[in-house]
Amino acid sequence: MNRIACRLHRLTPPALLLALGVVLFRPAIAAGDDSPWETDPYRLGQGLYFPQQGLRVGGYADLHYYDLDDRPRSASIDDLSLIVTKDFGSRWKLLSETDLSEAAIITGRGVSTSDATLEVERLYVDYYASSAATFRFGKFLTPVGQWNLIHADPLVWTVTRPLSTAAAFATSANGAMMYGTRTLAQDDLDYTLYVDDTQAIGFAKDADSAYGSYGRAGAINPLTNEFDRAAGGQTHYHWHDDQLTIGGSFVAYELRDPRKSYRLGGLDFDWTGSDVELSGEGVYRTANAPQTPSEYGGYLQAVISLPNQLFLVGRYEHFRNSTPNVTDNISTVGLNYRGVAGLVFRIERTHASHEYSGLPSGWFASVAVLF
Amino acid sequence: MFTRLRYPRIVLLALALGAGSIDYAAEPAPSEQAQMAVIASNLDSLQKIDDGSLREIYLKRVFLNTDGRPYIPVNLPATHPLRDAFLSAVLKMNPPQMQIYWDRRYFQGVSPPYVLGSQRAVVRFVAATPGAIGYVQRCQVTPNVHVILLVSLAGVAPADTLEKCPNSAMP
Repeated sequence: MNRIACRLHRLTPPALLLALGVVLFRPAIAAGDDSPWETDPYRLGQGLYFPQQGLRVGGYADLHYYDLDDRPRSASIDDLSLIVTKDFGSRWKLLSETDLSEAAIITGRGVSTSDATLEVERLYVDYYASSAATFRFGKFLTPVGQWNLIHADPLVWTVTRPLSTAAAFATSANGAMMYGTRTLAQDDLDYTLYVDDTQAIGFAKDADSAYGSYGRAGAINPLTNEFDRAAGGQTHYHWHDDQLTIGGSFVAYELRDPRKSYRLGGLDFDWTGSDVELSGEGVYRTANAPQTPSEYGGYLQAVISLPNQLFLVGRYEHFRNSTPNVTDNISTVGLNYRGVAGLVFRIERTHASHEYSGLPSGWFASVAVLF
Repeated sequence: MFTRLRYPRIVLLALALGAGSIDYAAEPAPSEQAQMAVIASNLDSLQKIDDGSLREIYLKRVFLNTDGRPYIPVNLPATHPLRDAFLSAVLKMNPPQMQIYWDRRYFQGVSPPYVLGSQRAVVRFVAATPGAIGYVQRCQVTPNVHVILLVSLAGVAPADTLEKCPNSAMP
């Protein structure tokens, strides 16, 4: 059965938001030439912005190409995502992200749309309570590490996603969050505290793929993650005008399937030098259940600037999986071309020592646009 | 991030030579060199600000002041030389680096500061809007706004790229 039809009930909130967007669009056009605002001309990566309405409409899309070892080649439109933000007064803001994932899979035999899935990726309101605290209610990205919070294809350096950034926890949560930034000795400290109660909140549920999907090959490891309940926090400290950021994350949670309790701790960092960026994340998860081994791993990634907006990317990841119970070592080498703002071309070769843990070996390429 | 490195050596050299030095002041001090004035409305109680707080406001990490009033930072157009100078001296970023920063923040639902078309428009808007913060050449400051921070433009904005000041040979 077509999964779009199956998930029509999820369309209501985004459809309402789109209708709201259309209504709000009209006064933006009718604002006239005497407006005091002169917005930046539209360019890729910034969305369509209507400052008088506090409205921004944008999103991202990507086309992936897979030439995996011992598997047929294929391409897929993995994400077609619409992001709408709307300010309500000076203290409230709404964000929605609606994503059509695996919109089309292209093989030598034709184009298939049977795996297309329309989902509400994020839907929340922010309330700016004070200079030190903002409250968020709804569905949001789980604050573990840095990758998960900026996981959109045009914003990351590789087509493949490190296992450490998704396999051990649900990538989104439903509940409430408090976050803010404080200044300590000229440096910034970000903090986040959140609780999830997906079990009780009926809307926008979905089980996040823990390991990603690769065109016609599909998901190598079909495991999905969905919180039943969770509580956690994250902090990031930015040194020297963001040249070095170090963060820590913690979350205690119960997954829906398998229904077990876990505790996860994580560390991450990002250092920007004159021609090099180094980053990494690591997680360690223990299960509150006998016979369930710990799951842990981490990656180190280097990006080197080359002439003509080319970037050389190298990454090594070690990941100890619990389901299946294997250890994987994954190396990735790739190139990015970022000559046009908002547009990214990438190609990479990945080798996984134990691909059945979730990530296959092979060639990956993509073009991604932030619009 | 990393694409700061398009002009890194120029920026580093400029900073090493003392470019973009910041002077906290409620009132402008006499100076022989061109200065950028960070301004607030006379309707606003904000009297001075340090460069770290200003950076947080322009990077949209802090949204409200301690009284709970929203900050409204405004930018000049992307092609304006004073905006590049502000990026370099206050935000410590260059345009490509800023682009990556806002791409990520945009994905997280945070929009960059509003853009106004000219220094005159910035002064007019700030004067009429409590909470608004803008930056203009010091000589563009009018009596209905006040200076909350002065930033030297030496080394970060060559004089011949700036607008001519009214009744003055110096930009």
